[in-house]
Amino acid sequence: MLNPKDIISTLQMVREENLDLRTVTVGINLTDCVSDDINTFKSRVYDKITRTAGQLVATCERIERRYGIEVANKRISVSPIGVVAAPFNAEQMVEIALTLDKAALELGVDFVGGFSALVEKGMSRGDQALIDAIPQALTESQRVCSSVNVASTRAGLNMDAIKRMGVVVKQAAEMTAEDDGLAAAKLVVFANIPQDVPFMAGAYLGIGEADAVVSVGVSGPGVVKAALERAINEQQDMDLSRAADVIKQTAARLTRAGELVGREVAESLGLPFGIVDLSLAPTPNENDSVGEIFEAIGLPAIGAPGSTAFLAMLNDAVKKGGAFASSHVGGLSGAFIPVCEDLSIADSAANGTLSLEKLEAMTSVCSVGLDMIALPGDTSAEMLSAVMADEMAIGVINKKTTAARLIPAPGKKAGDHVVFGGLLGEGPVMAVNMGEQENRFVRLGGRIPAPIQSLVN
Amino acid sequence: MNKVLISVLGSDQPGIIARVSDIIKQHNGNIENLSQTLLDTVFGALLQVELADADSAEALQTALEAACQDMDLFIRVHPWRESSSDWHQHKAQVQPYIVTAIGPDRQGLVAEIAAQLYQHGVNITHIQAIFKGGSNPMDNLMVFEVDVPKDTVMQALRDALTDIATRLDLEISVQHRKIFDSVSSIVN
Repeated sequence: MLNPKDIISTLQMVREENLDLRTVTVGINLTDCVSDDINTFKSRVYDKITRTAGQLVATCERIERRYGIEVANKRISVSPIGVVAAPFNAEQMVEIALTLDKAALELGVDFVGGFSALVEKGMSRGDQALIDAIPQALTESQRVCSSVNVASTRAGLNMDAIKRMGVVVKQAAEMTAEDDGLAAAKLVVFANIPQDVPFMAGAYLGIGEADAVVSVGVSGPGVVKAALERAINEQQDMDLSRAADVIKQTAARLTRAGELVGREVAESLGLPFGIVDLSLAPTPNENDSVGEIFEAIGLPAIGAPGSTAFLAMLNDAVKKGGAFASSHVGGLSGAFIPVCEDLSIADSAANGTLSLEKLEAMTSVCSVGLDMIALPGDTSAEMLSAVMADEMAIGVINKKTTAARLIPAPGKKAGDHVVFGGLLGEGPVMAVNMGEQENRFVRLGGRIPAPIQSLVN
Repeated sequence: MNKVLISVLGSDQPGIIARVSDIIKQHNGNIENLSQTLLDTVFGALLQVELADADSAEALQTALEAACQDMDLFIRVHPWRESSSDWHQHKAQVQPYIVTAIGPDRQGLVAEIAAQLYQHGVNITHIQAIFKGGSNPMDNLMVFEVDVPKDTVMQALRDALTDIATRLDLEISVQHRKIFDSVSSIVN
């Protein structure tokens, strides 16, 4: 016999607090598709993806009904194309992106990630071709996402790659000018990218992973907010220790739900189960916002002083709860603070409570980085690279993942509004404190050496 | 084997179980299983008892009624043979589901849902109502814990329940029990 309280709280999480599985992502290794003939490679890739994940959408829909929990997105991640398609040139890389897109469309999945390169220490010919292809590939495809790892704690920062990525992001945005630079919203630059992220745009299947693997991304900022609000209402003397407990326990429950569904999908597809990534990932809807959690705990708004402290606590408590609930927690696991994907964060950015600089500070304690940030269209490629370099340095020094998903919205200036639609949302164009657009530091290129691992102060 | 089933109903008060079990003890009976519940202030208990061969259900009932006469209880003692019904002997493989109905209390709500569950071969293992009134929908909740045979067509069951939900202005969900277990319990 179930306890009525447990029944009610589970129902509430699903009905009112927007608990969903943000994504079930099937990672597919493409190393066995390798060929130096582009048509052979493309057809092997298409066949392997459609064969391995052919039943993904139908399976998710069946399991959704069984448990009454929505699987918002079904996604594919593949081996980094920069590695498995190394013989090809940029034009052929675009063809490969369109093949991935076609496979995604055929399967009915929402996104396919892995149009990626790992260049933290240097760039191979394949990586170079892939990076050159990114703007066109993301413009011509609908569902392909791209990521480039440009830095790591062990390798330092590849400033040549960062310099190049400023140009690539700018081009990608300009080629999709009529959609406010949408292509740049599907491109993310990383430091310390995890090999098993199920979330986009950073999902790819690491080289050390299985031939195919099912991972799940669980979200639920609304559930955490509701749990905190309930605790505050019920306990007059609730302090932050107690709040951390509430977040931890809630995170554990969310993770349990995710693992249950993930394992069942994996079993149905005959694939191994990989990880649960419990990340508080917002959507542009009320009650599904990370920013609203900041308000629930008593901050005037996200971005106000105190925000970094609370974010540190939130991110840590989410990780602790997740790690307790499942032995296979991975990916990013923590709190995301994407500006355009979160109504409350977008509001704070629009009314000036949250500046780019404060966001950067907050990314030193969040689980990703500068995410979904629209910048003025006239931001120079060099300035974009400089913003990326700052963000990567935070990750490299703090031994954590950081990322930059910057969208220099063509024709837009600070304070204007951009709309990307769907989960990518909408929000204000944020000001960059630029001074000069020129940045001779970035132009120097080379590598910033890997940091010392002792003398940690 | 001289087994009896005892039901005891009435207003809750201290001493019901004490008196009933004392009488069973005096009759050299052994309580093999029992379950007690409270519905607001109403007490209900069901006991499976093995009696001495010479004893009878009638004699025990008379003794229990005499011992509890000041407590205003309804007590019944039935002879019980532990032969299982056909349904028990040919019980299909089942999956545990939780059916919840959220919405205003309506006459016939339980009957309508139970009828459809029965029609689809579903057995109710536990049922509880949480009716607190008021405007919060979660305060008007009917929970059916059920066993669904493997050969039940889930979609047909869902469609039938959706039809009831539309007519009675309810929100009915059918979810596998595992989701409640995994979200609620620390160890599983």
